Amino acid sequence: MTYKTRHGLRGLLAAGAMALAATIPLKAQAETTYNLALLSDFSGPYADIMPALASSREAVFDWWNATSGQKLGVTLNYKNYETRYDAAQVASLWPGIKSELDPIAVVGLGGPDVAALSERLPEDKIPMFMATAAYGYAWQSDAWIFNPRPTYSHESAGFLSWMREQRGGDEPLKVAILASEASPAYVDMAKGLELYAEEHPEELDLVEIIYTEVQPTDLTAQMRRVARAGAEALIVQTNTSIVVAAKRGLQANGADIPIMMSSHNGLPASGSALGGLDQLEGDYEAYGMAVAADEDTPARQFYETLAADYGLEAPWNVVTAMGISQGLYTVAVIGHAIEENGAEGLTGEKVREALFAQPITAEETQGFLPTLTFTPDAPFPLKGLQVNVGTVKDGKITIEATGVDVPDVKKW
Amino acid sequence: MVYFINDIITGALIGLLYALVAMGFVVIYRASKVFNFAQGELVIIGGFIVWFTTMQVGLSLWLSIPLSLVLAGLVGYAIERIFLTKLIGESVFSMVMVTVGLLILLRGLVLLLFGPAVRPFPIIFPLKPLFLGDMLIPMNLLIGGIITVVAAVGLSWFFNRTRSGLRMTAVAEDHVVASSMGISVKGSIAFAWILGSILSTIGAMIFLSGKSLTFLASDIGFAALPVALFAGLESIGGLILAGVIIGVAQSLTTNYLDPMIGGSLGSVVPYIIMLAILLVRPTGLFGWRTIERV
Repeated sequence: MTYKTRHGLRGLLAAGAMALAATIPLKAQAETTYNLALLSDFSGPYADIMPALASSREAVFDWWNATSGQKLGVTLNYKNYETRYDAAQVASLWPGIKSELDPIAVVGLGGPDVAALSERLPEDKIPMFMATAAYGYAWQSDAWIFNPRPTYSHESAGFLSWMREQRGGDEPLKVAILASEASPAYVDMAKGLELYAEEHPEELDLVEIIYTEVQPTDLTAQMRRVARAGAEALIVQTNTSIVVAAKRGLQANGADIPIMMSSHNGLPASGSALGGLDQLEGDYEAYGMAVAADEDTPARQFYETLAADYGLEAPWNVVTAMGISQGLYTVAVIGHAIEENGAEGLTGEKVREALFAQPITAEETQGFLPTLTFTPDAPFPLKGLQVNVGTVKDGKITIEATGVDVPDVKKW
Repeated sequence: MVYFINDIITGALIGLLYALVAMGFVVIYRASKVFNFAQGELVIIGGFIVWFTTMQVGLSLWLSIPLSLVLAGLVGYAIERIFLTKLIGESVFSMVMVTVGLLILLRGLVLLLFGPAVRPFPIIFPLKPLFLGDMLIPMNLLIGGIITVVAAVGLSWFFNRTRSGLRMTAVAEDHVVASSMGISVKGSIAFAWILGSILSTIGAMIFLSGKSLTFLASDIGFAALPVALFAGLESIGGLILAGVIIGVAQSLTTNYLDPMIGGSLGSVVPYIIMLAILLVRPTGLFGWRTIERV
């Protein structure tokens, strides 16, 4: 039985098992125990990536319990709740989660969690830690929901800045964006970069923003227009179906414009949807997190540790990297809170205060994330932002650049 | 100017693809007076059948395409037998509500059986476009356009010139009356669902050739909806004209207006045209005007 099949079955069983698990009391394993609520989607649109994401973050909590937690006399218990990636489901589950677990933090998955809990968490004084990049519309002060990565527009601006530097010359880089109005998040990704290009005409020449369906019929004409405009890069941070349609449109036109993807629609997912990574030779993925390439990096070594000693079976890919990075910055913040307040009497409010009190270093997150300095001004760090760039070379994902500085993107 | 003409041609071909999917709506409607809200889901079921026989079983396209069409026909037949046959003689509203339930059920089944992963769809039509001077025409859309026109001509002839087709029309008029006249209502509706599923599978092949397959592909059902309503739900031949008008309008809006306004007016234009025509002609361009005498 392959990993995917095995985890597919586990995923199906997990949803049902959770209902049963809800009746089983959590087991205390050390002097002081705190609970984490993990929001998961084993039966909705992210069911295929959830087993890897869930097992990755769980492996990090197990690792922390066995190492730092043991020294501090603290155990983090965790429990997954099936949300089906549905805001209504999250909202209806939340009172039960709170009364059952009394969690000191929530480990979230995506937009529905944010939509359902953004008003509740400040009242309940429980912070939520996400894995994805942030959104412009959620860029508000005094947040209780946090992203370790800046907005998608920050990430694309960082990538384009790097690309322009690689190209050389003083001319602005000609860029096109392929987005969709199917989701506010997709529009948000385009709007932030559009504003940045408007304010920095010496750096970026935004030749066009194309809005299309989430499963486009044909993008040949649109890609011809982009090629005719002399675009040097195409930003697609929406989904893999649009990447595939764009690639086919570019191929039909004989155009070789590199595409930049994000983590959720990155090289492995889009390559798989295209029938092979070789189709994306010379294209890029860029995000503020470690690239899951074959190279022997600190992040890769930490993954190997989790796989060898903590039963992590998920393969080394961007989804696993997201789960691990989410788990690592969550336990780092909790560790800081314990250092400052002692092991006893930790609350969600104290955890949130610890997030602002000191930076989470790149060493603490094993190189998965850059040093993160959160402030009450935004739900993500505003300073020291960096992205990493991966590409496909000879049919393999390789790291093209690390620690690329992200320019200052204004709020939109 | 060349590019403008090219955009018109590409738009017309995309419109013909919408017309092919809309043909599924019309065929089922003409035989049962049921508006099938699950038409987009039939497209993805067809798509997954093609993907399964080609990419999973490993059959060559020459084998997998006819096999997929047969399997799609069986799916259509099964849907009719399981969900609709017992509703014959009941109100049309009940049958329409069943198709709404079917929409949810089929989506769930696809997720359960195949998962939400994005999969590569086989390359059925050549990826290399046809070059006519400076003009570029995607091969899948070109071949799809020809198939749509042939299917429309064939089905128009079938429904208007053959006894079987006329029987199906009689069934749509009134199940009880048709049955009392010795027409097999069950057989007619089952045949319409088989045909609707096969047309949807052909639509899936044209739409997805060389691209990717997820349950999101069912959205093409919504793109085809304005074409079906614009043409009139009884008119198969009218779909061609409606498809071309909507496709060209959408293409010109997407290529010339959207870049100016920085928005996605192209995805709304088909609905604006549809609403405009329905205000003037509630039965659509070529829909039948019925006179009810009380």
